[in-house]
Amino acid sequence: MDGIHDIGGMHGFGPVEREENEPVFHADWERRAFGVEFFTGSRIGTNGDQSRHAIERLPADVYLTASYYEKWMLALQTLLEETGTLSRAEIEARMAELANEETDHG
Amino acid sequence: MSGHKHNEPESDIALRVKAMEQLLTEKGIVETNAIDLVADYFENKVGPRNGARVVARAWCDADYKARLLADASPAIAELGYSGLQGEDMVVLENTPQVHNVIVCTLCSCYPWPVLGLPPTWYKSPPYRARIVREPRAVLAEFGLEVADDVEVRVWDSSAEIRYMVLPMAPEESAGKSEEELVDLVSRDGMIGVAAH
Amino acid sequence: MGELTAERLAQIIEAGHSHRREGDGSEPRFDEGQTVRTINHHPSGHTRLPRYAMGRTGTVVRNQGIFAFAHTNARGEGECPQYCYAVRFKGSELWGNAAHEQDAVILDLWESYLETP
Repeated sequence: MDGIHDIGGMHGFGPVEREENEPVFHADWERRAFGVEFFTGSRIGTNGDQSRHAIERLPADVYLTASYYEKWMLALQTLLEETGTLSRAEIEARMAELANEETDHG
Repeated sequence: MSGHKHNEPESDIALRVKAMEQLLTEKGIVETNAIDLVADYFENKVGPRNGARVVARAWCDADYKARLLADASPAIAELGYSGLQGEDMVVLENTPQVHNVIVCTLCSCYPWPVLGLPPTWYKSPPYRARIVREPRAVLAEFGLEVADDVEVRVWDSSAEIRYMVLPMAPEESAGKSEEELVDLVSRDGMIGVAAH
Repeated sequence: MGELTAERLAQIIEAGHSHRREGDGSEPRFDEGQTVRTINHHPSGHTRLPRYAMGRTGTVVRNQGIFAFAHTNARGEGECPQYCYAVRFKGSELWGNAAHEQDAVILDLWESYLETP
C-alpha cells in the first residue's frame, strides 16, 4: 500500500536524532510490549507479514507520532480484533479499571 | 528502567499494554513469566558485542573471513550466534573502494543475533527516509566522511536477508589480539554509519 | 503448555524461523548480471517493493535463493515461495541528478516484482 510507512526517499523528516548509551527498552511497558508481541502472533494464528501490515495500516498521523512499541501494540490490537481474540472495547474497559485502581491506591 | 513512579498516573500506552497483557494472560495466550524471559534475553543475551566478535575473528583469520563472506549464517553460528532475524545473513565487506550501509526503509529489519535489537534512530523516519537518497549527507552527520571516489552501497533489507557490514580494520588494530580487536568494533560500524 | 524456562526460550530463539523454502525445481528467471525492471504496481495491501523503486531499472547482483513471498503471506494467501534477488539500482536511476554518481541502492526483490525491460 502507498502508506506513510513507505518513506524511503521522502523529504522533510529532519536530522537523525541519536541517543547516547540507549537502553534496549526505555520503560517497563516497552519490555512488556515486546514480550506480548513476541508470543501472541503465533498463538492467534497470524504471521509476521500480517503483523507488519497491521502496522502499515495504522492511520498516517498515528504512525508518525506514536513511538515504536506503541505502534506494535496498536497494530496488535487490530489483529486481536480481526481474529476475534479481543475487542478494543474490552481492552479499553480494562484500562479504565486499572486507572481506577491506581487512583484508589495511589 | 521502569518509567512509572508512584503518585503519577500511568501513560495511556502503559495502561494499554498492562490491560492487553492481563486479558491475554487470562485467555492463556501469554504468560507473565515468559514475557520476562524474552525481554531479559534481548536485554542481556544478544547485542553488538556478538557482531564485534565476528568482525574481530574475520580481521584475524583469513579463512574465517572467506567463509563469512561466502555464507554468513553458518560462519556466524561457529561463534555461537544464530536465530530469529538472523537466519539468512549476508555480510558486506567494506573495502577502500566500497562503503556499505544497511537500512530497512519499510519497517525495522535488523540482524538480531549479531547486533541485538536496533537503536531507535535506525527505526525512525529520518534515517529510513534519508539514507537511501542522500547517504553521504547522513553519514557525514554521523561523523563519517566518504571520499568522492568511494562507492556508497545502501542495502535496503526489503525481504528476508539480514545484513551486517564487515568494516575495514583500522590502523590501530595492528599487533592487537582478537580479544583486543573486539573493543575496536562498534555497533555503528556494523550498520555502516561509522568507519569501524 | 509447560512452564517456559530461559534455556528453552534461548533454544527457540536461536533455532530461528527461516523463510527460506525448497523450490519446486523451477529455474530462476533471472541471472546475476542481468538487467531487470521493477513492476510499477501500487497495491492497496502489503508489498515489499518500496514506492521509490517501482518501475526502475537495475542489475541483479545476487540470487538469494527461494523464500516465502511476504506479499501473499500478508494477505493470508499462502507462502507462494519464489526466488528473491538482490538488485542494484544506481542512485541516479532512483533520484535523478540529485544522486552522487558513486551511490547505489540494493534491494532484495522477489521474482514477481521483476520483469525483463
